[in-house]
Amino acid sequence: MKPKLVIGVFSIVLFTSLLMYNFGNSISSYVSFEQAAERANAHVVGVWDDTQEYGFSRESMQFSFHMKDEDGNVRRVVYPRPKPNNFEEATQLVVIGEMRSNGVFHANDMLMKCPSKYNDGSELVNAQEN
Amino acid sequence: MIATIGQFFLSAAFIAAIAAMISYAIAAYKEDEKIERISHWLWYAKGISLLIASIALIRLIVTHRFEYYYVWNYTSLDLETMYLYSAFYGGQEGSFMLWILCGFVVGIGLIKWTRKPYMAPVMFVMTLTQFFLLSMVVGWDLIVTQIGATPFRTIAQEMPNAPFIQANPDFVPADGSGLNDLLKSPWMMIHPPIIFVGFAMMTVPFAFAIASLWTKTYHEWIRPALPWTLAANLSLLTAIFLGGYWAYETLSFGGYWAWDPVENASLVPWLIGTAGIHAMIIQRKSSRAHKASLFFAILAYVGIVYQTFLTRSGVLAEQSVHSFVDLGLYGQLLLFILAMTIMGIGFYLYRYRELPSPEEDSKFLSREFMTFTGSMLLFILGFVIIIGTSSPIIGRFFVENPTPPEIQFYNDWSMPIAIIMLFATVIGQYLFWQKHTWESLAGALIVPLLATSIATVLTIVLGEVRNLYYMVYIFAGWFAVMGNAAVLFHLIRKNPKLIGGTVTHIGFGILLLGVIASSVYTEPLLDQRTMDYNARVMAGEVYDEEGFRVTNRVEMFEMELDKPVLINNKYMVTYKGYDVEDSPRPGQQTYTLKFEPIDGSRPFYMNPVVYPMLTTSSAESTEWTVDPHVRTGWMQDIYLYVAGSRYVERRNEEVAARNRGLASVSDAPELQEQNQSIEMQQGETIETGPFSITFQSYLPASESDLPENTQIGIRSLVKVEHMPSGNAYEVEPLFAVYTDDDRSYTYSPPLEIERWGMEISFTRIHPESDSIELTIDGLDLDYEEDWILVVAEKKPFVSIVWLGTFLLMAGFSISIMRHWKREKDTEEKR
Repeated sequence: MKPKLVIGVFSIVLFTSLLMYNFGNSISSYVSFEQAAERANAHVVGVWDDTQEYGFSRESMQFSFHMKDEDGNVRRVVYPRPKPNNFEEATQLVVIGEMRSNGVFHANDMLMKCPSKYNDGSELVNAQEN
Repeated sequence: MIATIGQFFLSAAFIAAIAAMISYAIAAYKEDEKIERISHWLWYAKGISLLIASIALIRLIVTHRFEYYYVWNYTSLDLETMYLYSAFYGGQEGSFMLWILCGFVVGIGLIKWTRKPYMAPVMFVMTLTQFFLLSMVVGWDLIVTQIGATPFRTIAQEMPNAPFIQANPDFVPADGSGLNDLLKSPWMMIHPPIIFVGFAMMTVPFAFAIASLWTKTYHEWIRPALPWTLAANLSLLTAIFLGGYWAYETLSFGGYWAWDPVENASLVPWLIGTAGIHAMIIQRKSSRAHKASLFFAILAYVGIVYQTFLTRSGVLAEQSVHSFVDLGLYGQLLLFILAMTIMGIGFYLYRYRELPSPEEDSKFLSREFMTFTGSMLLFILGFVIIIGTSSPIIGRFFVENPTPPEIQFYNDWSMPIAIIMLFATVIGQYLFWQKHTWESLAGALIVPLLATSIATVLTIVLGEVRNLYYMVYIFAGWFAVMGNAAVLFHLIRKNPKLIGGTVTHIGFGILLLGVIASSVYTEPLLDQRTMDYNARVMAGEVYDEEGFRVTNRVEMFEMELDKPVLINNKYMVTYKGYDVEDSPRPGQQTYTLKFEPIDGSRPFYMNPVVYPMLTTSSAESTEWTVDPHVRTGWMQDIYLYVAGSRYVERRNEEVAARNRGLASVSDAPELQEQNQSIEMQQGETIETGPFSITFQSYLPASESDLPENTQIGIRSLVKVEHMPSGNAYEVEPLFAVYTDDDRSYTYSPPLEIERWGMEISFTRIHPESDSIELTIDGLDLDYEEDWILVVAEKKPFVSIVWLGTFLLMAGFSISIMRHWKREKDTEEKR
């Protein structure tokens, strides 16, 4: 074996393992609110619970709403920014942040999955009524 | 009828593509020129059929045939004409068609310019890719399976089970659902054609690489392939730039790059393509790196197909804000990527042992080694980004339900790679044009290093850079700019035609300097109150109502109408009100903010917009979308949007009230507006709703204001204050009694306080109780001063990012011209 080849293979292996190690650390899995309590920075998937009060408070400068996670737990979520575009329309929400011991989820970031708005034809029905 | 024609020609194009593919394969196998000519005709037939199908689709769109799903889904009656045409490629199906059309045009060029022995195999590969793309849109129902989704399907075919279709199969909607408002931008109109031109051109080096493996001629193929690769890269770069610029101007995340999977997917083929260009240049100059240039040429196209797979198969649906609608093409796309990978990489490995390899290794300080290093670094960066972007697939090896990697992952890896790249560009360029030893290189670099040091120190001092890592990065950035600039001066004197690569490398350095300035040193623009609050948050002194420590800084502030606010101790900003218009978007509000720099320079205005997104709003909820205003400058951009306003809140309350089933809302505000009479004594204050009214004193009325024959004429001095805001007005309404024809009349002209829509008149005097009666019209008990919530950021040197991008584009263009001209010249000599 040529020494160059050995060095080459060694550095490729080192680079790839470092990359994969780091990659593995920088991803996490989507969890429920209950599991989120054990994590520092949790991603929780759920849907907006529109039966409860929601909105942006100009006193606390926070947007707050209730979200139901995939296990059916409902928790209040606060988000320190204005209500995002498309919030009401989202079919799914991902909130990223930490679960406080008082049962309020403090989100630093929030993603909205917008509907593939077409398949149920509900819009067409509206169009027809109009 | 038109749809039938369209579908017919779409099928014809698909059949022609299959025929051309077989015919080219035979031509390549038998090296038969006659069959090759027949294949060319099939290629033209395929292209023209698809062109007719596309015109048919455009015709359906322009004539608003909403019974067709594609037309209904992406357009509407009120859409402007230019967006009607661009709606052709607004959806998944049409964009595939545009891609195929671009490939067709590229193919015409190849038929004209390609020489033996490459013609037939190159065109075979081109047709093969077109076959796969056409299969995505042909929409054949083969009982066992469905091939592709045709744009000519009707709504009834799309959703046969929808109740309204069951009730009435011939149902035609009156209007379409419309184009997403965010996409109504000239930038977004030209972005897709440019990206598909790039995709189509990137097929060429792939086709040539396969042809070279087929014909076992490993050296010649790069000569025709290099200009195409450069041109493909220029297109991709332009498209990435347009996408970034659009995101910056239209979206509210406040930047031009967010490491979003869709963005990454366009960057990776560009990086690999650029790696390929470096390898091809070594191969052309020094007959080395054959393996690398073949590998990257194949991989760049595989990268494009992979990105198509990621964005269109629905794999990324949970991770990206802007992936396509899933059309159920997962299987077909998977087949496409597998076919391309197996054909490309498989064939490459099959021939690997035969590929020429250099007899001796390059020295470290050589043009070959340094250029190859550049190539590898670009590839490694591309590889890192691919790993991150593939988290929905690769992440499964680590965790269940993987999330995308944190942004930090991309930054952590790309920054050191970028630093090495920046240093390598200078050393590479020096060695590219001249042989050097360590000593001579060190000598040649003295001046650029000196200039770099001065520039770096100035940047660190003026920019208040504290972080050591950033200092190294900035040094590397300046080194790339200065070092390559020195090479540029040298080249311009010698032969200005050769400057393409050098200009590109300068652009790269400038771009990366701009990236750090504009991303790391972005800061929010805030008023003093919010800054004080944030300082307390940072000190850990703020607790919320449940007793938890608040850790999030507030990065927005509130403004009231006509109340100047000092922002970042730099600007006096006044909110001057808003206008509601119905053009170009119904119900859009344009807010006006006046910025007066306190250093006395010229004031300017910012006009952010908020509008209801019609495609997704309904009677039950209005969805408000912000359109930021970006004020571009050389030193810094100011980025600003209105995150909330009284107007929007009022509209939402009305909608909410309507949803709760209250009586017709249009009456509601009038119920609250009252005509109120109040009796008060001098010095007395009465509060009503948010207002306080004080009768301060009597004032004499001047003769000229009074009617003729006045017996009594007097004014009262009344102060009206809006208590929540502290805004106050003093008015002096008049009261007079005059006689006309022996009858007495009172005269009390109303005075208007325009801001509150309120009118005050002095209607009576009660001498017995020494009090007066004031009548107030238009008193709004729910009145609230107009306010807005503002998010603003200062982004330094975004202009430098664009400048660097333009230099990259210019460098690529110069190189394309040079290589293209050389190809033409050698051809003429033959």
